[in-house]
Amino acid sequence: MDTDVVAKQFVEYYYTTFDNNRAGLASLYQDTSMLTFEGAKTQGVAAIVNKLTGLPFQQCHHAVSTIDCQPSGPAGGILVFVSGNLQLAGEQHALKFSQMFHLMPQHPGNPGSFFVLNDIFRLNYA
Amino acid sequence: MDPEAVAKQFVDFYYQTFDTNRPGLALLYQDSSMLTFEGSKIQGAAAIAAKLTGLPFQQCHHSISTIDCQPSGPSGGIIVFVSGLLQLAGEQHALKFSQMFHLMPGPTGFYVLNDIFRLNYA
Repeated sequence: MDTDVVAKQFVEYYYTTFDNNRAGLASLYQDTSMLTFEGAKTQGVAAIVNKLTGLPFQQCHHAVSTIDCQPSGPAGGILVFVSGNLQLAGEQHALKFSQMFHLMPQHPGNPGSFFVLNDIFRLNYA
Repeated sequence: MDPEAVAKQFVDFYYQTFDTNRPGLALLYQDSSMLTFEGSKIQGAAAIAAKLTGLPFQQCHHSISTIDCQPSGPSGGIIVFVSGLLQLAGEQHALKFSQMFHLMPGPTGFYVLNDIFRLNYA
C-alpha cells in the first residue's frame, strides 16, 4: 500500500463528494469518527454529516494546493494534511483552508479500504 | 490524561524550544519519527534536528492562533493541529503557518511520531 497514492485518491474523492454530493460523505465516517470544524467538535457519522450538510452555504468548490501524508503508526493509519482554497458561490474571494485527516483501515472490510477517524478543518484568515 | 491539556502543554513547549533552543527539539523525536517540512521528508531524531537547526534563519518567534486536538485511536496517540504566525528577525511581515503533530506515548512521556509543517501563502 503506497501511502501517497491512498492519500491522493482519498483527497480527490473527499472534495469531489463534498462539492457535488455532500451527504455522500457519510460513507467515509464511522461511529468513532471525530470532526473539529472551526473549533466545533462533533463525533459519529450522523452528527458529522449533519454538521457538514448544515453548513451555511450550498454550492462550493475546493481547490487543493498541497497534500502531505505520513503513516501514523502500527495500526496502519495514514495522516493526510491538505491546504487549499474554498470558493463559495456568490463570494468574490475564495477562503483559504487547512485540513487534516487521519485515515484508518476498515475492520473487517476490503484490504486497502479506509475510513476517516479524525478530521480537523480550519480556515486560514488573511 | 486530558488530551487538551497534553496538547496545550506540548504546543507551548515545542514553540518555546524552537524559538530559544532549537537543538533541544531533538528530545521530542525518536528514530521512528517523521517530519515533512514544506514538502521535504525526513526521518529520525538526528536528521530532523539537523533539518530544523539548519533552516536558513537564526532568530524567530512563533505565535499561536489556534490549537485543535483529538485522540488518534487505540494506541493512545493525540493529534494536534496548530495555526499561527512565524516572525523571522529582520523580516517586515510574519509568515502564516499550519502544523500538525501526532504525539505518541513513550516511556518518558509523549514524543512526536509525525510532524507536518506548511506555510500558508497569501
